[in-house]
Amino acid sequence: MIEIIGVSKSYNRGAVKAVDNVSINIRNGEIFGFLGPNGAGKTTLIKMIAGILNADEGTIKINGMDIKENPLEAKMQFGFVPDDPNIFSRLTGLEYLNFMADVYKVPAATRLGLMQTLLQRFEIAAAAGDLIQSYSHGMKQKIVVIGALLHTPPVWILDEPMTGLDPRSSFDLKKMMREHADAGNTVFFSTHVLDVAEKVCDRLAIINKGRVILSGSMQEIHTQLGAKQSLERLFLEITENE
Amino acid sequence: MNRMLALLKALLINSLGISVIRTKARTDKLAYLKLIALGALIIAGLAPTIWLYAKMLIQGYDLLAPIEQQGALLVLGIVLVSTMIFFFGIFYVINYFYFARDAQNVLALPLSGWQVLGARFSLVLVYEYLTQLPFLLPPLIVFGLKSGAPLAYWLYACLGFFLVPLLPLSLATIPTLIIMRFANLGRRKDLFKILGGIIVLILAIGYQLFIQRTGINNMDALLIQNLLTEQNGVIKMISRVFPSAQYLALALISAEKITGLLNMLTFTALSGLALALTWLIGDRLYFKGLVGSSETTARRKVITSSDYSKMSRVAPAWLSYCRKEILLLFRVPTYFMNCVLTNLLVPVFLIIPFLFQPQDEKAIPWAELIAQPGLQTILMAVIVGAVIFLSGSNAVASTSLSREGREFYISKYIPLSYRQQVLAKLLSAYILAISGTILILIGAIIIMPLDLTQIFTIFIVCLTAIAPVTEAGILIDIFRPKLDWDNEQKAVKQNFNVIISILFSILLGGSVIFIVIRWIDSPTMAAAFMITCFSLVALVLYNLLMTKGIEQYRKIEG
Repeated sequence: MIEIIGVSKSYNRGAVKAVDNVSINIRNGEIFGFLGPNGAGKTTLIKMIAGILNADEGTIKINGMDIKENPLEAKMQFGFVPDDPNIFSRLTGLEYLNFMADVYKVPAATRLGLMQTLLQRFEIAAAAGDLIQSYSHGMKQKIVVIGALLHTPPVWILDEPMTGLDPRSSFDLKKMMREHADAGNTVFFSTHVLDVAEKVCDRLAIINKGRVILSGSMQEIHTQLGAKQSLERLFLEITENE
Repeated sequence: MNRMLALLKALLINSLGISVIRTKARTDKLAYLKLIALGALIIAGLAPTIWLYAKMLIQGYDLLAPIEQQGALLVLGIVLVSTMIFFFGIFYVINYFYFARDAQNVLALPLSGWQVLGARFSLVLVYEYLTQLPFLLPPLIVFGLKSGAPLAYWLYACLGFFLVPLLPLSLATIPTLIIMRFANLGRRKDLFKILGGIIVLILAIGYQLFIQRTGINNMDALLIQNLLTEQNGVIKMISRVFPSAQYLALALISAEKITGLLNMLTFTALSGLALALTWLIGDRLYFKGLVGSSETTARRKVITSSDYSKMSRVAPAWLSYCRKEILLLFRVPTYFMNCVLTNLLVPVFLIIPFLFQPQDEKAIPWAELIAQPGLQTILMAVIVGAVIFLSGSNAVASTSLSREGREFYISKYIPLSYRQQVLAKLLSAYILAISGTILILIGAIIIMPLDLTQIFTIFIVCLTAIAPVTEAGILIDIFRPKLDWDNEQKAVKQNFNVIISILFSILLGGSVIFIVIRWIDSPTMAAAFMITCFSLVALVLYNLLMTKGIEQYRKIEG
């Protein structure tokens, strides 16, 4: 569960408001999609949830743990996939995964099996011993996703996770997201791809210029706007009118 | 030409951060003022050194003028700067031509080889002008003023200033272009960078040895007499290192004569020729070498279960973090060369002059010196001083956050407390500092006949001495981390935090050692005093790091 209550963040001493009084409640057992045009504030909000940026105002709780008050406990609750998978390029894939496993205190007994299963599932087992700098964009994305899932976190926070993934891996990830949510966990992810949002999400929110302008289940959103229009049309209309 | 200039403009704005400064001036006045204050501080910090250099030049002029060898000052400056530019040039060219993150992107633009090469060459040239400014300007000005030089001198000096780097930079560029084209070392770029770095260092050591062997020490009186009686004899000797330098020097010295003009024309022609040759070769070879320079090797070998279990040993989070720090220091070539290799090679450099002294000279009577308590104290203080200076200047602690760059956000979201992260950074810096300490001690043992007690005492003093220096380094970097860079060089080489750390180590080491040398005779007393001083400072800094430092670490956003 992620509770975002009245969160704001501005840059340049208040001149640019990146996130403006956002409140969202993401429940257990659901996949929540976060949509918005480029520069709408998606990544800023996600970074605040992950503890990378400090919110100016508001509270963020992950499974009841406040990211400001109990940062370490809160951080143990989630696995995070950043929008840019360029990380530790001079470590090998295995060294990176091992580092993440140490940091998230993954016990020796489960670590090995989990690593192997995930590496095989994402089809990069053969590259695990090579330096990350030799990976393609998609492979880097995969290793980061694996690193985020090693400690079997109840909450997944994924910033543009499908970018660069091949169709099979993208399909697998979506399937894993579904399984994870169905097991009573939380998945929160941002995307530009409206098709993905429409097919995968239980609920979604559309953010523009730092403010949530629409949120709810797909059905609610459609009824709210009356017409039987596609998400793409809807997205274009509401982001244009702002 | 227009396209080349357009590219150069974009490169300059990007790498000098001009737009960043402009944006700050517009949106964040405080940050802008801080930037200006920092600039002023750097100039103020450098001013005394430059003033000292100028004073030395003035004295040198007065000394050399009676024997009509004052021109040596000019040639010395030109040769020094040319050598420096050549060595820096090798690194700059490799990094900015081939391994910059945006290097490959230009391949997709409708530009020809010489245009891109020209723009990148000019960018490096701008860096070289900035580098040579404090070294070349003082001798040019001192000579001009002291000799009451004619207008032609000042004209030649201005022109010469801009021409000086062309030849050495071309000499650094051409071999790199050829090697990169034919050896396609791009695929092993990390290895290439490290090997290149080591070769440059070997050359530097060899050069040092060469100068020592053929230096003034070994010259007989007749040679010196010949050198001094021949007009501008010294110029000819010094300029053997960089032969083209003498043309500019001779042009400046006899600026009012026709020979001056001829020398100036020769120098200009040589520089122009070097430039033309570089661009011509670059037009043919640059793109061919650049294609594939971002490729890397990978084995893509299936990993067996035993490999897995070997590689996935469980460690405490802080230890794993510390190991990651050290792994990256060794694997990223720029970090390896600036942080690790300096740490290991500086001691070697310090020892060489003692090992290769000319045999006929009387060796330093170390045994006699060490027998006297007062001198023993001084020797101990000097060794400790060297250790402090080395650990302050090795750039491990003072760039520990900066090195993370844009990846710093990872440190923010992992569930490892900031306190443990800082301690892990401190530990990795401390380990590197200890390795340097051990090497300096080994050097000292080779040179001087120290007994076990002395070695042990010095080692303990050094262990306490490096603690405050590494702590200060990390504190400095926490308060002004340089995270926004596109080239690893900027994190360590072009990071002012390293200079602040060096200044701190000089201040701390200098004041403690000064007290020891001035007032303490007994080696035991000196050791006790130093251990107490360094431990106290270390304690204070540790507290500061764990309170204010952690607080600041929390505020930094990724």
